[in-house]
Amino acid sequence: MVVKLEHIEKRADTGVPIISDASLALEKGGFYFLTGLSGAGKTTLLRLITLAERPTHGSLILFGADTASLDRDARAALRRRIGMVFQDLRLIDTLSAGDNVALPLRIAGAPEHEVRDNVAALLAWVGLAGRADVPTATLSGGERQRVAIARAIVRRPELLIADEPTGNGSEETADLMVRIFEQINRLGTTVLIATDNVAFARRFEHQRFHLDRGMLLDADAAAAQ
Amino acid sequence: MIGFRLAARRRFALGSDSSGRLLPWVVALLVYAAGLCGVGLIVLNDALRASEHTLAATLTLQVPAETSDARLETVLALLRQTPGIASVHLLEPAETARLLEPWLGSVPLDDLPVPRLIDLRADPNAEPDLAMLRQHLASVVPDSRLDDHRLWPQEMRAAARRIEGVLAAGITIALLLIAAAAVVAARTAVMADRSVSELLHLLGAADFDIAGGLAVRSLGRGLLGGVIGAIAALLTILALGGAGSVVQLPAPIAVSGAADWRVWGILSAFVPAAGLIAMASAWVAVRRRLAAMP
Repeated sequence: MVVKLEHIEKRADTGVPIISDASLALEKGGFYFLTGLSGAGKTTLLRLITLAERPTHGSLILFGADTASLDRDARAALRRRIGMVFQDLRLIDTLSAGDNVALPLRIAGAPEHEVRDNVAALLAWVGLAGRADVPTATLSGGERQRVAIARAIVRRPELLIADEPTGNGSEETADLMVRIFEQINRLGTTVLIATDNVAFARRFEHQRFHLDRGMLLDADAAAAQ
Repeated sequence: MIGFRLAARRRFALGSDSSGRLLPWVVALLVYAAGLCGVGLIVLNDALRASEHTLAATLTLQVPAETSDARLETVLALLRQTPGIASVHLLEPAETARLLEPWLGSVPLDDLPVPRLIDLRADPNAEPDLAMLRQHLASVVPDSRLDDHRLWPQEMRAAARRIEGVLAAGITIALLLIAAAAVVAARTAVMADRSVSELLHLLGAADFDIAGGLAVRSLGRGLLGGVIGAIAALLTILALGGAGSVVQLPAPIAVSGAADWRVWGILSAFVPAAGLIAMASAWVAVRRRLAAMP
Protein backbone atom coordinates (compact mmCIF):
# COMPACT_ATOMS: atom_id res chain seq x y z
CA MET A 1 0.00 0.00 0.00
CA VAL A 2 1.51 3.30 -1.09
CA VAL A 3 -1.15 5.63 0.30
CA LYS A 4 -3.79 4.85 2.88
CA LEU A 5 -6.21 7.50 4.10
CA GLU A 6 -8.49 6.54 6.96
CA HIS A 7 -11.40 8.80 7.90
CA ILE A 8 -9.50 11.90 6.90
CA GLU A 9 -11.10 15.22 7.66
CA LYS A 10 -9.68 18.60 6.72
CA ARG A 11 -11.18 21.87 7.84
CA ALA A 12 -10.24 25.37 6.69
CA ASP A 13 -8.93 27.83 9.29
CA THR A 14 -12.49 29.16 9.48
CA GLY A 15 -13.69 25.71 10.52
CA VAL A 16 -15.48 24.99 7.23
CA PRO A 17 -14.97 21.33 6.24
CA ILE A 18 -13.12 20.84 2.93
CA ILE A 19 -12.67 17.06 3.13
CA SER A 20 -15.10 14.99 5.20
CA ASP A 21 -14.37 11.46 6.38
CA ALA A 22 -12.36 10.40 3.33
CA SER A 23 -10.90 6.90 3.18
CA LEU A 24 -8.78 5.80 0.25
CA ALA A 25 -6.12 3.20 -0.56
CA LEU A 26 -3.70 3.43 -3.46
CA GLU A 27 -1.95 0.14 -4.24
CA LYS A 28 1.64 -0.06 -5.38
CA GLY A 29 1.72 0.04 -9.19
CA GLY A 30 -1.88 1.28 -9.41
CA PHE A 31 -3.12 4.00 -11.77
CA TYR A 32 -5.94 6.18 -10.49
CA PHE A 33 -7.99 9.18 -11.49
CA LEU A 34 -9.52 11.52 -8.94
CA THR A 35 -12.46 13.38 -10.46
CA GLY A 36 -14.66 16.09 -9.06
CA LEU A 37 -15.96 19.53 -9.85
CA SER A 38 -13.83 22.57 -9.26
CA GLY A 39 -13.90 23.32 -5.53
CA ALA A 40 -14.76 19.74 -4.58
CA GLY A 41 -11.54 19.46 -2.56
CA LYS A 42 -9.29 17.59 -5.03
CA THR A 43 -6.29 19.89 -4.59
CA THR A 44 -6.65 19.77 -0.79
CA LEU A 45 -6.73 15.97 -0.90
CA LEU A 46 -3.58 15.96 -3.05
CA ARG A 47 -1.90 18.42 -0.68
CA LEU A 48 -2.70 16.11 2.21
CA ILE A 49 -1.20 13.13 0.36
CA THR A 50 1.92 15.11 -0.61
CA LEU A 51 2.32 16.25 3.03
CA ALA A 52 1.84 19.90 2.10
CA GLU A 53 -0.89 20.03 4.75
CA ARG A 54 -1.84 18.08 7.82
CA PRO A 55 -5.31 16.56 8.21
CA THR A 56 -7.55 17.93 10.97
CA HIS A 57 -8.58 14.37 11.85
CA GLY A 58 -7.88 10.86 10.60
CA SER A 59 -4.78 8.95 9.71
CA LEU A 60 -2.58 9.12 6.65
CA ILE A 61 -0.19 6.25 5.98
CA LEU A 62 2.36 7.01 3.28
CA PHE A 63 4.80 4.33 2.05
CA GLY A 64 3.90 2.36 5.17
CA ALA A 65 4.73 5.20 7.58
CA ASP A 66 2.17 6.87 9.82
CA THR A 67 2.76 10.49 8.83
CA ALA A 68 1.35 11.90 12.08
CA SER A 69 4.33 10.67 14.06
CA LEU A 70 7.10 11.74 11.67
CA ASP A 71 9.51 14.60 12.27
CA ARG A 72 10.15 17.28 9.63
CA ASP A 73 13.18 15.58 8.08
CA ALA A 74 11.33 12.28 7.78
CA ARG A 75 8.37 14.06 6.13
CA ALA A 76 10.81 15.74 3.70
CA ALA A 77 12.32 12.32 2.92
CA LEU A 78 8.83 10.97 2.09
CA ARG A 79 8.12 13.97 -0.15
CA ARG A 80 11.25 13.16 -2.13
CA ARG A 81 9.64 9.83 -3.07
CA ILE A 82 6.71 11.66 -4.70
CA GLY A 83 6.71 13.34 -8.12
CA MET A 84 4.15 16.11 -8.57
CA VAL A 85 2.81 18.11 -11.51
CA PHE A 86 1.13 21.09 -9.89
CA GLN A 87 -2.01 22.70 -11.26
CA ASP A 88 -0.14 25.98 -11.73
CA LEU A 89 3.03 24.04 -12.72
CA ARG A 90 5.19 26.04 -10.25
CA LEU A 91 8.21 26.46 -12.45
CA ILE A 92 10.89 28.91 -11.31
CA ASP A 93 11.00 31.44 -14.11
CA THR A 94 14.44 32.74 -13.14
CA LEU A 95 15.91 29.30 -13.85
CA SER A 96 16.44 27.57 -17.19
CA ALA A 97 14.25 24.62 -18.24
CA GLY A 98 17.11 22.24 -17.37
CA ASP A 99 17.66 23.73 -13.90
CA ASN A 100 13.94 23.43 -13.18
CA VAL A 101 13.97 19.76 -14.13
CA ALA A 102 17.17 19.27 -12.10
CA LEU A 103 15.69 20.60 -8.84
CA PRO A 104 14.57 17.22 -7.37
CA LEU A 105 17.95 15.68 -8.22
CA ARG A 106 19.87 18.56 -6.67
CA ILE A 107 17.66 18.48 -3.60
CA ALA A 108 18.55 14.80 -3.29
CA GLY A 109 22.24 15.71 -3.57
CA ALA A 110 22.84 13.87 -6.86
CA PRO A 111 26.28 14.44 -8.45
CA GLU A 112 26.30 17.11 -11.16
CA HIS A 113 27.26 14.74 -14.01
CA GLU A 114 24.30 12.53 -13.11
CA VAL A 115 22.08 15.62 -12.96
CA ARG A 116 23.19 16.73 -16.44
CA ASP A 117 22.71 13.27 -18.02
CA ASN A 118 19.30 12.68 -16.46
CA VAL A 119 18.00 16.13 -17.27
CA ALA A 120 19.09 15.91 -20.92
CA ALA A 121 17.48 12.46 -21.29
CA LEU A 122 14.24 13.53 -19.61
CA LEU A 123 13.90 16.69 -21.68
CA ALA A 124 14.42 14.62 -24.84
CA TRP A 125 11.73 12.19 -23.67
CA VAL A 126 9.13 14.94 -23.27
CA GLY A 127 10.06 16.42 -26.66
CA LEU A 128 12.30 19.26 -25.48
CA ALA A 129 15.67 17.86 -26.60
CA GLY A 130 18.50 20.40 -26.55
CA ARG A 131 16.41 23.03 -24.74
CA ALA A 132 17.92 22.66 -21.28
CA ASP A 133 19.42 26.15 -21.30
CA VAL A 134 16.32 27.97 -22.53
CA PRO A 135 14.90 30.37 -19.91
CA THR A 136 11.67 28.89 -18.59
CA ALA A 137 9.89 32.24 -18.91
CA THR A 138 10.25 32.14 -22.72
CA LEU A 139 8.57 28.72 -23.14
CA SER A 140 5.01 28.23 -24.45
CA GLY A 141 2.24 26.88 -22.19
CA GLY A 142 2.57 23.34 -23.56
CA GLU A 143 6.36 23.40 -23.26
CA ARG A 144 6.12 24.61 -19.66
CA GLN A 145 3.81 21.73 -18.88
CA ARG A 146 6.32 19.29 -20.36
CA VAL A 147 9.08 20.79 -18.21
CA ALA A 148 6.83 20.29 -15.18
CA ILE A 149 6.21 16.65 -16.22
CA ALA A 150 9.95 16.06 -16.67
CA ARG A 151 10.63 17.53 -13.21
CA ALA A 152 7.99 15.26 -11.66
CA ILE A 153 9.48 12.06 -13.07
CA VAL A 154 13.21 12.86 -13.12
CA ARG A 155 13.84 10.96 -9.88
CA ARG A 156 11.71 7.94 -10.81
CA PRO A 157 9.28 8.59 -7.94
CA GLU A 158 7.30 5.83 -6.26
CA LEU A 159 4.16 7.95 -6.35
CA LEU A 160 3.38 10.29 -9.22
CA ILE A 161 0.64 12.90 -8.85
CA ALA A 162 -0.79 15.40 -11.33
CA ASP A 163 -3.31 18.11 -10.47
CA GLU A 164 -5.60 19.22 -13.34
CA PRO A 165 -3.38 18.30 -16.31
CA THR A 166 -6.10 19.41 -18.73
CA GLY A 167 -6.52 22.81 -17.14
CA ASN A 168 -3.10 23.98 -18.22
CA GLY A 169 -2.35 23.89 -21.94
CA SER A 170 -3.89 21.61 -24.50
CA GLU A 171 -5.60 18.27 -24.02
CA GLU A 172 -2.91 16.97 -26.38
CA THR A 173 -0.26 17.66 -23.77
CA ALA A 174 -2.50 16.10 -21.14
CA ASP A 175 -2.73 12.99 -23.35
CA LEU A 176 1.07 12.97 -23.69
CA MET A 177 1.36 13.22 -19.94
CA VAL A 178 -0.95 10.27 -19.33
CA ARG A 179 1.03 8.24 -21.90
CA ILE A 180 4.29 9.13 -20.19
CA PHE A 181 2.77 8.36 -16.78
CA GLU A 182 1.57 4.98 -18.11
CA GLN A 183 5.12 4.13 -19.13
CA ILE A 184 6.41 5.11 -15.71
CA ASN A 185 3.52 3.18 -14.14
CA ARG A 186 4.66 0.01 -15.91
CA LEU A 187 7.95 0.32 -14.01
CA GLY A 188 5.98 0.09 -10.74
CA THR A 189 5.21 3.74 -9.94
CA THR A 190 1.77 4.46 -8.49
CA VAL A 191 -0.03 7.25 -10.39
CA LEU A 192 -2.83 9.55 -9.25
CA ILE A 193 -4.26 12.18 -11.59
CA ALA A 194 -6.83 14.70 -10.38
CA THR A 195 -9.09 16.33 -12.97
CA ASP A 196 -12.46 18.05 -13.19
CA ASN A 197 -12.74 16.74 -16.76
CA VAL A 198 -14.63 13.48 -16.14
CA ALA A 199 -14.84 12.79 -19.88
CA PHE A 200 -11.05 12.97 -20.12
CA ALA A 201 -10.63 10.54 -17.22
CA ARG A 202 -13.14 8.12 -18.72
CA ARG A 203 -11.04 7.80 -21.86
CA PHE A 204 -8.54 5.75 -19.96
CA GLU A 205 -9.08 2.35 -18.40
CA HIS A 206 -8.05 3.26 -14.89
CA GLN A 207 -9.79 3.19 -11.54
CA ARG A 208 -11.54 6.45 -10.67
CA PHE A 209 -12.42 8.08 -7.39
CA HIS A 210 -14.88 10.90 -7.28
CA LEU A 211 -14.94 13.79 -4.82
CA ASP A 212 -18.22 15.56 -4.27
CA ARG A 213 -18.29 18.49 -1.84
CA GLY A 214 -15.57 16.95 0.27
CA MET A 215 -17.07 13.44 0.24
CA LEU A 216 -14.98 10.76 -1.46
CA LEU A 217 -16.77 8.12 -3.55
CA ASP A 218 -15.44 5.21 -5.54
CA ALA A 219 -16.63 6.43 -8.97
CA ASP A 220 -16.52 2.97 -10.53
CA ALA A 221 -18.48 1.43 -7.68
CA ALA A 222 -20.93 4.34 -7.76
CA ALA A 223 -21.40 3.90 -11.51
CA ALA A 224 -21.97 0.17 -11.08
CA GLN A 225 -24.77 0.75 -8.53
CA MET B 1 29.69 16.16 -2.06
CA ILE B 2 29.68 19.44 -0.22
CA GLY B 3 30.75 21.17 -3.44
CA PHE B 4 27.77 19.76 -5.28
CA ARG B 5 25.46 20.70 -2.45
CA LEU B 6 26.79 24.24 -2.55
CA ALA B 7 26.32 24.32 -6.32
CA ALA B 8 22.79 23.07 -5.82
CA ARG B 9 22.10 25.71 -3.18
CA ARG B 10 23.32 28.39 -5.49
CA ARG B 11 20.93 27.12 -8.14
CA PHE B 12 17.99 26.84 -5.77
CA ALA B 13 17.49 30.48 -6.69
CA LEU B 14 16.56 31.47 -3.16
CA GLY B 15 17.79 34.83 -1.96
CA SER B 16 18.53 36.08 -5.47
CA ASP B 17 16.27 39.05 -4.75
CA SER B 18 17.48 42.63 -4.72
CA SER B 19 16.52 43.28 -1.08
CA GLY B 20 19.50 41.32 0.24
CA ARG B 21 21.95 43.37 -1.79
CA LEU B 22 21.59 46.21 0.68
CA LEU B 23 22.76 43.98 3.53
CA PRO B 24 26.54 44.33 2.92
CA TRP B 25 26.26 48.12 3.07
CA VAL B 26 24.23 48.09 6.27
CA VAL B 27 26.74 45.65 7.79
CA ALA B 28 29.64 47.82 6.54
CA LEU B 29 28.22 50.88 8.28
CA LEU B 30 27.67 48.98 11.52
CA VAL B 31 31.11 47.32 11.47
CA TYR B 32 32.60 50.76 10.80
CA ALA B 33 30.84 52.13 13.90
CA ALA B 34 31.68 49.07 16.01
CA GLY B 35 35.31 49.17 14.79
CA LEU B 36 35.75 52.80 15.78
CA CYS B 37 34.14 52.10 19.16
CA GLY B 38 36.55 49.19 19.64
CA VAL B 39 39.58 51.28 18.74
CA GLY B 40 38.21 54.02 21.01
CA LEU B 41 38.24 51.49 23.86
CA ILE B 42 41.91 50.71 23.17
CA VAL B 43 42.85 54.40 23.03
CA LEU B 44 40.96 55.17 26.22
CA ASN B 45 42.51 52.24 28.02
CA ASP B 46 45.98 53.33 26.91
CA ALA B 47 45.40 56.91 27.98
CA LEU B 48 44.11 55.82 31.34
CA ARG B 49 46.98 53.47 31.97
CA ALA B 50 49.57 56.04 30.91
CA SER B 51 48.15 58.74 33.18
CA GLU B 52 47.71 56.33 36.08
CA HIS B 53 51.30 55.27 35.70
CA THR B 54 52.63 58.80 35.98
CA LEU B 55 50.16 60.25 38.44
CA ALA B 56 49.06 57.41 40.62
CA ALA B 57 51.84 57.56 43.17
CA THR B 58 52.61 61.27 43.05
CA LEU B 59 51.90 63.96 45.66
CA THR B 60 53.25 67.50 45.75
CA LEU B 61 53.86 69.60 48.82
CA GLN B 62 54.04 73.39 48.41
CA VAL B 63 55.91 75.25 51.08
CA PRO B 64 55.69 79.11 51.15
CA ALA B 65 58.76 80.88 49.73
CA GLU B 66 59.59 82.64 53.02
CA THR B 67 59.94 79.38 54.93
CA SER B 68 63.36 79.17 56.58
CA ASP B 69 65.84 76.47 55.64
CA ALA B 70 65.61 75.02 59.16
CA ARG B 71 61.83 74.59 58.89
CA LEU B 72 62.28 73.15 55.41
CA GLU B 73 64.70 70.57 56.79
CA THR B 74 62.20 69.73 59.54
CA VAL B 75 59.49 69.24 56.91
CA LEU B 76 61.78 66.98 54.88
CA ALA B 77 62.66 64.96 57.96
CA LEU B 78 58.99 64.67 58.87
CA LEU B 79 58.13 63.47 55.37
CA ARG B 80 60.93 60.90 55.33
CA GLN B 81 59.68 59.46 58.60
CA THR B 82 56.06 59.26 57.47
CA PRO B 83 54.99 55.67 56.74
CA GLY B 84 53.77 55.16 53.18
CA ILE B 85 56.00 57.85 51.64
CA ALA B 86 58.49 56.04 49.43
CA SER B 87 60.60 58.97 48.29
CA VAL B 88 60.99 62.69 48.97
CA HIS B 89 62.55 65.10 46.49
CA LEU B 90 62.96 68.82 47.10
CA LEU B 91 62.93 70.63 43.79
CA GLU B 92 65.80 73.04 43.31
CA PRO B 93 64.78 76.62 42.35
CA ALA B 94 66.14 75.94 38.85
CA GLU B 95 63.84 72.91 38.46
CA THR B 96 60.86 74.93 39.68
CA ALA B 97 61.79 77.68 37.23
CA ARG B 98 61.78 75.14 34.40
CA LEU B 99 58.28 74.00 35.39
CA LEU B 100 57.04 77.60 35.44
CA GLU B 101 58.76 78.59 32.22
CA PRO B 102 55.76 77.80 29.93
CA TRP B 103 53.64 80.28 31.90
CA LEU B 104 56.11 82.97 32.99
CA GLY B 105 58.78 82.83 30.31
CA SER B 106 62.49 82.74 31.15
CA VAL B 107 62.47 85.45 33.83
CA PRO B 108 64.70 85.25 36.90
CA LEU B 109 62.62 83.98 39.82
CA ASP B 110 64.89 85.38 42.51
CA ASP B 111 62.61 88.37 43.14
CA LEU B 112 59.37 86.41 43.02
CA PRO B 113 57.90 84.62 46.06
CA VAL B 114 57.87 81.25 44.32
CA PRO B 115 56.96 78.49 46.78
CA ARG B 116 59.32 75.55 47.22
CA LEU B 117 57.98 72.32 45.79
CA ILE B 118 58.57 68.86 47.22
CA ASP B 119 57.77 65.82 45.07
CA LEU B 120 56.53 62.86 47.07
CA ARG B 121 56.03 59.30 45.88
CA ALA B 122 53.51 57.27 47.80
CA ASP B 123 54.23 53.62 48.39
CA PRO B 124 51.49 51.85 46.36
CA ASN B 125 51.46 49.01 48.89
CA ALA B 126 51.17 51.16 52.04
CA GLU B 127 48.82 54.12 51.93
CA PRO B 128 50.14 57.18 53.85
CA ASP B 129 47.69 58.72 56.32
CA LEU B 130 47.33 62.08 54.56
CA ALA B 131 45.04 63.65 57.15
CA MET B 132 47.56 62.98 59.87
CA LEU B 133 50.41 64.18 57.64
CA ARG B 134 48.54 67.45 56.92
CA GLN B 135 48.08 68.01 60.65
CA HIS B 136 51.80 67.47 61.33
CA LEU B 137 52.80 69.73 58.43
CA ALA B 138 50.44 72.49 59.61
CA SER B 139 52.16 72.46 62.97
CA VAL B 140 55.56 73.03 61.33
CA VAL B 141 54.60 75.24 58.35
CA PRO B 142 50.98 76.46 58.71
CA ASP B 143 50.66 77.66 55.07
CA SER B 144 51.95 74.51 53.39
CA ARG B 145 49.69 72.75 50.88
CA LEU B 146 49.64 69.06 50.05
CA ASP B 147 48.22 68.22 46.58
CA ASP B 148 47.08 64.66 46.09
CA HIS B 149 47.16 63.96 42.34
CA ARG B 150 45.74 60.52 42.93
CA LEU B 151 42.27 62.09 43.28
CA TRP B 152 42.52 63.20 39.69
CA PRO B 153 43.06 59.77 38.14
CA GLN B 154 40.30 58.38 40.33
CA GLU B 155 37.85 60.88 38.91
CA MET B 156 39.30 60.37 35.48
CA ARG B 157 39.04 56.62 35.87
CA ALA B 158 35.37 56.91 36.77
CA ALA B 159 34.74 59.15 33.75
CA ALA B 160 36.77 56.81 31.54
CA ARG B 161 34.78 53.82 32.79
CA ARG B 162 31.57 55.61 31.83
CA ILE B 163 32.92 56.34 28.36
CA GLU B 164 34.09 52.73 28.09
CA GLY B 165 30.56 51.65 28.97
CA VAL B 166 29.15 53.87 26.24
CA LEU B 167 31.64 52.48 23.70
CA ALA B 168 30.93 48.89 24.71
CA ALA B 169 27.19 49.58 24.44
CA GLY B 170 27.86 51.06 20.98
CA ILE B 171 29.61 47.85 19.91
CA THR B 172 26.82 45.68 21.32
CA ILE B 173 24.13 47.74 19.62
CA ALA B 174 26.02 47.63 16.30
CA LEU B 175 26.32 43.83 16.49
CA LEU B 176 22.62 43.48 17.43
CA LEU B 177 21.69 45.72 14.50
CA ILE B 178 23.73 43.47 12.18
CA ALA B 179 21.63 40.54 13.42
CA ALA B 180 18.41 42.54 12.95
CA ALA B 181 19.41 43.59 9.43
CA ALA B 182 20.23 39.98 8.50
CA VAL B 183 16.90 38.78 9.91
CA VAL B 184 15.00 41.41 7.90
CA ALA B 185 16.95 40.55 4.73
CA ALA B 186 16.40 36.81 5.17
CA ARG B 187 12.70 37.25 5.94
CA THR B 188 12.30 39.50 2.93
CA ALA B 189 14.09 36.93 0.78
CA VAL B 190 11.78 34.15 1.98
CA MET B 191 8.71 36.35 1.53
CA ALA B 192 9.84 37.47 -1.94
CA ASP B 193 10.66 33.86 -2.84
CA ARG B 194 7.77 32.44 -0.89
CA SER B 195 6.63 30.30 -3.81
CA VAL B 196 10.22 29.12 -4.38
CA SER B 197 10.84 28.17 -0.76
CA GLU B 198 7.47 26.40 -0.62
CA LEU B 199 8.23 24.60 -3.87
CA LEU B 200 11.60 23.42 -2.53
CA HIS B 201 9.78 22.30 0.62
CA LEU B 202 7.19 20.38 -1.44
CA LEU B 203 9.87 18.76 -3.58
CA GLY B 204 11.34 17.33 -0.41
CA ALA B 205 14.16 19.74 0.40
CA ALA B 206 15.02 19.50 4.08
CA ASP B 207 14.72 22.69 6.15
CA PHE B 208 18.49 22.48 6.64
CA ASP B 209 19.10 22.77 2.89
CA ILE B 210 16.62 25.59 2.25
CA ALA B 211 17.80 27.62 5.27
CA GLY B 212 21.41 26.66 4.53
CA GLY B 213 21.30 28.28 1.10
CA LEU B 214 20.10 31.58 2.52
CA ALA B 215 22.42 31.38 5.52
CA VAL B 216 25.47 30.85 3.29
CA ARG B 217 24.40 33.80 1.15
CA SER B 218 23.94 35.89 4.28
CA LEU B 219 27.40 34.83 5.51
CA GLY B 220 28.92 36.05 2.25
CA ARG B 221 27.08 39.37 2.47
CA GLY B 222 28.02 39.79 6.13
CA LEU B 223 31.70 39.11 5.42
CA LEU B 224 31.71 41.50 2.45
CA GLY B 225 30.09 44.22 4.57
CA GLY B 226 32.53 43.47 7.39
CA VAL B 227 35.55 43.88 5.11
CA ILE B 228 34.23 47.18 3.69
CA GLY B 229 33.44 48.53 7.18
CA ALA B 230 36.80 47.44 8.64
CA ILE B 231 38.75 49.03 5.78
CA ALA B 232 36.76 52.26 6.15
CA ALA B 233 37.43 52.27 9.91
CA LEU B 234 41.15 51.68 9.32
CA LEU B 235 41.31 54.56 6.83
CA THR B 236 39.57 56.80 9.36
CA ILE B 237 42.09 55.85 12.05
CA LEU B 238 44.98 56.52 9.66
CA ALA B 239 43.50 59.93 8.87
CA LEU B 240 43.04 60.69 12.59
CA GLY B 241 46.57 59.51 13.33
CA GLY B 242 47.90 61.88 10.66
CA ALA B 243 45.86 64.73 12.10
CA GLY B 244 47.05 63.91 15.60
CA SER B 245 50.29 65.82 15.26
CA VAL B 246 48.49 68.88 13.91
CA VAL B 247 45.58 69.16 16.33
CA GLN B 248 47.51 67.90 19.34
CA LEU B 249 45.37 64.84 19.99
CA PRO B 250 46.48 62.90 23.04
CA ALA B 251 49.57 60.81 22.48
CA PRO B 252 47.89 57.41 22.79
CA ILE B 253 45.94 57.98 19.56
CA ALA B 254 49.18 58.34 17.67
CA VAL B 255 50.54 55.31 19.50
CA SER B 256 47.40 53.24 18.70
CA GLY B 257 47.46 54.02 15.03
CA ALA B 258 47.63 51.51 12.24
CA ALA B 259 50.91 50.20 13.62
CA ASP B 260 49.19 48.83 16.72
CA TRP B 261 48.42 45.11 16.33
CA ARG B 262 45.38 45.49 18.60
CA VAL B 263 43.74 47.82 16.06
CA TRP B 264 44.28 45.22 13.35
CA GLY B 265 43.11 42.54 15.75
CA ILE B 266 39.87 44.23 16.73
CA LEU B 267 39.00 45.31 13.18
CA SER B 268 39.73 41.90 11.68
CA ALA B 269 37.75 40.22 14.48
CA PHE B 270 34.67 42.23 13.53
CA VAL B 271 34.74 40.84 9.95
CA PRO B 272 34.08 37.16 10.81
CA ALA B 273 31.85 38.29 13.69
CA ALA B 274 29.65 40.25 11.24
CA GLY B 275 29.57 37.28 8.83
CA LEU B 276 28.69 34.75 11.53
CA ILE B 277 26.03 36.98 13.10
CA ALA B 278 24.45 37.59 9.68
CA MET B 279 24.55 33.85 8.92
CA ALA B 280 23.12 32.73 12.26
CA SER B 281 20.36 35.36 12.16
CA ALA B 282 19.32 34.41 8.62
CA TRP B 283 19.37 30.74 9.62
CA VAL B 284 17.07 31.27 12.57
CA ALA B 285 14.73 33.58 10.62
CA VAL B 286 14.33 31.12 7.73
CA ARG B 287 13.90 28.11 10.01
CA ARG B 288 11.09 29.96 11.77
CA ARG B 289 9.41 30.73 8.46
CA LEU B 290 9.75 27.13 7.31
CA ALA B 291 8.27 25.86 10.56
CA ALA B 292 4.96 27.38 9.38
CA MET B 293 4.99 24.91 6.48
CA PRO B 294 3.76 21.47 7.68
